[in-house]
This record gives sequence, C-alpha cells and structure tokens, in this order.
Amino acid sequence: MPKLPDSSKTFNCREMLQKILDGDATPEQQQQFKVHMEECMPCYKGYELEMAIKALLQKKCNGHGAPPDLIEKIKNKISHITPH
Amino acid sequence: MIKSLPAGSDFLFIICLKKLLLLKPMEEPLSQQYSETEKHRIFHTEFMPHINSMHNFAYRLTLDADDASDLVQDTYLKAYRFIDSFQQGTNAKAWLFRILKNSFINDYRKKSKEPSKVDYQEVETYYNSDDVNRQITPDLRVEALQDMIGDEISNALNSLDVDFRTVIILCDLEGFKYDEMAKILDIPIGTVRSRLHRARNLLKEKLTDYARKMGYKNT
Repeated sequence: MPKLPDSSKTFNCREMLQKILDGDATPEQQQQFKVHMEECMPCYKGYELEMAIKALLQKKCNGHGAPPDLIEKIKNKISHITPH
Repeated sequence: MIKSLPAGSDFLFIICLKKLLLLKPMEEPLSQQYSETEKHRIFHTEFMPHINSMHNFAYRLTLDADDASDLVQDTYLKAYRFIDSFQQGTNAKAWLFRILKNSFINDYRKKSKEPSKVDYQEVETYYNSDDVNRQITPDLRVEALQDMIGDEISNALNSLDVDFRTVIILCDLEGFKYDEMAKILDIPIGTVRSRLHRARNLLKEKLTDYARKMGYKNT
C-alpha cells in the first residue's frame, strides 16, 4: 500500500483550531495549522475571530483584582493565627 | 472513645504515634508538616501572588464585588489551614483555584439564584454530533469586535451559565491547560474540552447579538 504524502493526511481543521485556542496544540500542530490557513480562507477567518475574542476577553474581563484592603485583611488574619 | 481505653493503652498509643510520625514523611508524601515559618513563607511567596487572579475569578463566579472578596478571604484562610496538603513545587495557582471553586459551590452557589446545573449529557451529545462543524466561518466579524469598547464582552461572558463562564476564564484569562482545568473542576479532560467548545460557541452567539444591535449587518 503506497504511503500517502503528508499533505493528504486527514486534517480536521476545526479540531485543530480548538486545540490551538485551548493551548493544547504542539508547536508542530501549530505550524501545520499555520500552513493550512494560508490556503484556507474559512480557517484563517475563524482563527482571526477566535483570537480577537480571546484578546478582548483578556483586555476587558481581567480588571477585578483584589482591593488593597482585602490583601491587608488576609495578611493580618494569617499573621494572627497562633502556632500550634 | 479515649476515655474508654483500658489502663496501659497509653503505651500502645505512644508506639502508634511514634510509628506514624516516623513513617509519615516516607510513606505519605502527599502530606507534610511545615514549620510555622515555612507555612508563612509558602503563604506569602506562593499563594499571595495569585490574589488578583483569584479575586477576578471570584468576581466572575459571584458577579458581586463584596461576595468575591468574602470568597477570596475564605479561600485563603482555608488554604492556610490545609497548607500541609500542598506539595511545594506543584502548581499553587491551580491548587488555590480548586479550593476557591469548591468553596463557591459549597458556600455561595446555594445562596445565589443561579439556574441549576447544565445538562452535560446535552453538552456531550452536542459535541459528538455534526453540530460541532457548524459555523465553520462564524458570522461575527473581527471589525465588530474591535468596536466593542464598552462592557459588551464582559456582559456576554457574565450572561453565560456559570459552568461555561468558568472554563472560558480558566483557559482564556488564566491560561490553564486541560489537565489543570480537569483537576480544578473535578471533571474528565474530555468534558473540559467539550464544555470549552460549547462555551466558545455560546459566547460567539452573544457577541453576534451585540454586533447586530450595534448595526453590523450580516454579522
């Protein structure tokens, strides 16, 4: 049985895009997807959109850090726990 | 119980205790006994640096600033109390997030008016169906997202069911991997994957609605 060249391997681009988004893709898989995107408009657009959403989330949904008085309160409570 | 032990059992008890203490570091590597100084050092150098991420996570779960602060405080006090079960060199952030998530479920979720849990069977079915390949080119456009300079994305995220919201936060904001999320949430990796997939699609649907309202045609 002849061996198929790499480019004709079954390549599920939706699954690969999710792996990349989820941070689960290996560097090789990322490279493979990058090459694939150059010739596949839907994948390119899908990737751009997902990355834009991720960037927007990081920019807009990360702003509820701990108030300084809470940090002090916790440190204070811990320092008052007596050794046993 | 101790009162009912016959005289002389003190000796046995001491033997057992000695054995336990001697064997503990060797036979039970999952729990250790830190000195008070070590406890404080671990708490301040390994736990406290995550407080902003923890508070943001708590806020996204409770959707209330005061509840978030209470939840974070409870979590940190619990983390200190159970510090002996924390293994140095392991992922402190994931360990803390897990405690926070459990505290939320046990102490806060009951109080809140969150709708009941997601039907995960439905999630799995969805993931395994042809629907997974739907929206190969999502209708939403990048330009529409770039115009969302207000609270649109935040509101969209907050409107998702808490279980979907959680995986988005853990993955996209905090960068946890599948195996870490599985441990934090006590669910299999396959469920993490399918829940994330569904969450991303739901978030896109919400954002598409916003884009339409903003006047983007054919979004």
